Amino acid sequence: MQPIVELKNVTKEFYGVPALRDVSFDLAPGEVHALLGENGAGKSTLTKIMAGVHEVTTGELLVDGKVESFKTPAEALQKGIAMVFQETSLVPSLTVAQNLYLGNEKFLNRLRGIYISAQQFLQSLNFGVDPTMFVSQLGAAQKQMVEIARAVHHKAKVIIFDEPTATLTPEEKHHFFSLIRRLKSDGVSIIFISHALEEALAISDRITILRDGQHVITDDVKKFDRDKIINAMVGRTLSGELYGKAGDKRAPRPYGQKILSVQNLSMGKMVRNTSFSIYSGQITGIFGLIGSGRTETAKIISGVVKRDFFHGGEVKLEGRSVRYRVPRKAVKDGIVYVTEDRKLEGFFETKSIAENIYLNLLAADLNKGLTVSYSEMMELARHWTEKLNVRAINNSARVVELSGGNQQKVVIARSLVQRPKLIIFDEPTRGVDVGAIAELHHVINQLADSGLAVVVISSYLPEVLNLADRILVSRQGRVVEEFSMEDATEEKIMYAAVH
Amino acid sequence: MGNLIKSLGAVRYLNQEKIVFLLTVMLFAVFSLILPNFLAANNILSLIRSVAVLGILGLGMLIVVLGRGIDLSLVANMAISVAWSLQLVSGGMSVASAMTVGLLFALGMSLITGLLIAYAEIPSLFATLAMATFVYGFGRAHLITGTDVVYLPSDIGWIIHLGQGTLLGIPTPILVAGAVALIAYLFLRFTKPGRFIYAIGDNFVTARTGGMPVRPMLVVQYVIAGGIAFIAGIVTATSAQAMNTRVVNSNMIYDVILVVVLGGVGLSGGRGNVRNVIVGTLLIGVLMNGMTIMDLQYTVQNVVKSLILLVAIVADSILNPRDEQTGQQGDI
Repeated sequence: MQPIVELKNVTKEFYGVPALRDVSFDLAPGEVHALLGENGAGKSTLTKIMAGVHEVTTGELLVDGKVESFKTPAEALQKGIAMVFQETSLVPSLTVAQNLYLGNEKFLNRLRGIYISAQQFLQSLNFGVDPTMFVSQLGAAQKQMVEIARAVHHKAKVIIFDEPTATLTPEEKHHFFSLIRRLKSDGVSIIFISHALEEALAISDRITILRDGQHVITDDVKKFDRDKIINAMVGRTLSGELYGKAGDKRAPRPYGQKILSVQNLSMGKMVRNTSFSIYSGQITGIFGLIGSGRTETAKIISGVVKRDFFHGGEVKLEGRSVRYRVPRKAVKDGIVYVTEDRKLEGFFETKSIAENIYLNLLAADLNKGLTVSYSEMMELARHWTEKLNVRAINNSARVVELSGGNQQKVVIARSLVQRPKLIIFDEPTRGVDVGAIAELHHVINQLADSGLAVVVISSYLPEVLNLADRILVSRQGRVVEEFSMEDATEEKIMYAAVH
Repeated sequence: MGNLIKSLGAVRYLNQEKIVFLLTVMLFAVFSLILPNFLAANNILSLIRSVAVLGILGLGMLIVVLGRGIDLSLVANMAISVAWSLQLVSGGMSVASAMTVGLLFALGMSLITGLLIAYAEIPSLFATLAMATFVYGFGRAHLITGTDVVYLPSDIGWIIHLGQGTLLGIPTPILVAGAVALIAYLFLRFTKPGRFIYAIGDNFVTARTGGMPVRPMLVVQYVIAGGIAFIAGIVTATSAQAMNTRVVNSNMIYDVILVVVLGGVGLSGGRGNVRNVIVGTLLIGVLMNGMTIMDLQYTVQNVVKSLILLVAIVADSILNPRDEQTGQQGDI
């Protein structure tokens, strides 16, 4: 059968640096093809060539057997190739329906008309999104749904999904996979980029693995299992050490001093009357579905947002009642929050690695001397990039130029220079490749061993189970259940989170 | 065209600052060849001198723009605070107290601007536009009596030397501009508030979460700009023997933004330094001087100025494209 899209010996260079080297790839009509690899392996570049975002440096792109060279994503879309981007490409100030019809509006664009047809269309996809909502009001998962709906709406023959499930809850993922199956039965070909290997194994027909811009293997999904994929991705086996195998549980760390106690905390609709405590010298995992108020609770504790003025509850740090108006106060008291969205609020994109780290030292007033010292800055950066194993050309490189895992290490270094007593990690391994996850987990474990109070918020159960000494489960804005490490199981935690 | 430029190799490392610098050098060379009097030492000094005030104001604007703001009240602040100072001296107040009053007025007004922007969260464009109108209206109505022009009193004292006279053969306005540039450089590079302003301009949320005092820093940057405006006003008044308050209604504030943007300072904040402003100011200086010698009309001069700005910005966007590729690095 003739492939619908084919790449022949494609090389793509950015300013002389190859992102893809001599890669060939083909997509059969009506198949689901998973594209796997670590961050920086070239998955996004490969698919962006097909979607008309990048042009090839050498090699050929064939669509339906004919050589094509797309200059813009619009040209690719005309040939029936649509891409759902990792970073959302929706217009925040328009409604869901307006976004769906963006670029296809009739001359007289009757709003009521598009709301009705958008409603029907979204329902046919089983997406619970209100078409009259503004995109800026939607959560990350709902934005993703609209993005997917838009690709389907364009009646594309090929749809490329870049990390579609990263922000979805289990239930939404279930809907998403049934949608993929339906698209497939309609003859649509799908390329699926993911870090979640189980999903790739469950949904795809074939798997292609890239490593360092080169093609490693393409084969039928039946020939793969988890270990074989990871092996091909990183060139080594580390599945076991990553998410500790069942049975070899370590002993939980003992409870240290009670460092933080939260009583009846409330904020708007997101945090409702929640109470819990955090102890030093151990890792407290907070698990919950998206929208369960985990992030908001963490942001109140660290002063990023304020709690309700009336009936807002109480936060005690080492027995002392605190109420922060700005994060600066929390930082000075030793509470730091490591954001879930590093691109938006994790680092300064025009600044170097070294200055990014140093600026947080300055912000906490922990620098030596009165003026800014560039030798202190380089020394500090050297210390932390070595300690956290940040891989970059040098510490003067800008943080945006690093891979996701290395960016996250810099973000963590930024927090650690502030010498926290309590550090809150919000989704510390989101968008991070397999190799770096192990390193980040190692760092987090070390922090707890050194006596810090560590909180890890995660939507990924194996991560919580592997890292945490005790697990709090959050649901609808409050902590509803607490498990110790010994008696926590995936089933129990999930049951508490959804019921 | 983009491919052509990129294929030249070394050209790839050009940015707007370097383009503007090269443009300045080229213009300078061309003017030197075709205009007989251009290269004379006197003309070069008067060239720089003519843009000294613009450069000083540009440095004030730089500090605000780095923090992702803009200050449209600089010229109004400069004109009214200095005009009031001069009037107080004429009315018999001692020079030192009159200058202090004028400076405090400039700082006070910019403090209000800063508070409005940082705490009342009014966008800087509107807050400074409103404050410019307020300062000018209030000044003309209640502080400055008589005509639009306040002349320099004869007994102004040593301050006269800031605008007139030379030191080691260099006109003092150039030295004042150089001193302000040096202080601004040291402030931005070696002090905490200086680095914080860069950080806040780059990413306000990250700066806040990291524990920087973001709102006080916003206020600080406007207050500094106000102080710099006062210095620029003193230089203007002493070199021209008067402060003409109608300068508020001229397009001077656009020229200030022009030199800042021309030099390659990003209006989106966080990108740029003192060097950019110096390069932008020099280009305008060379251009204006050359065109004046050529006796071009004022309107033609404005057209040329605006074309140069457009060329610099377009060249920069071709050489340093801001597309998906650069906007979304990290996962290639």
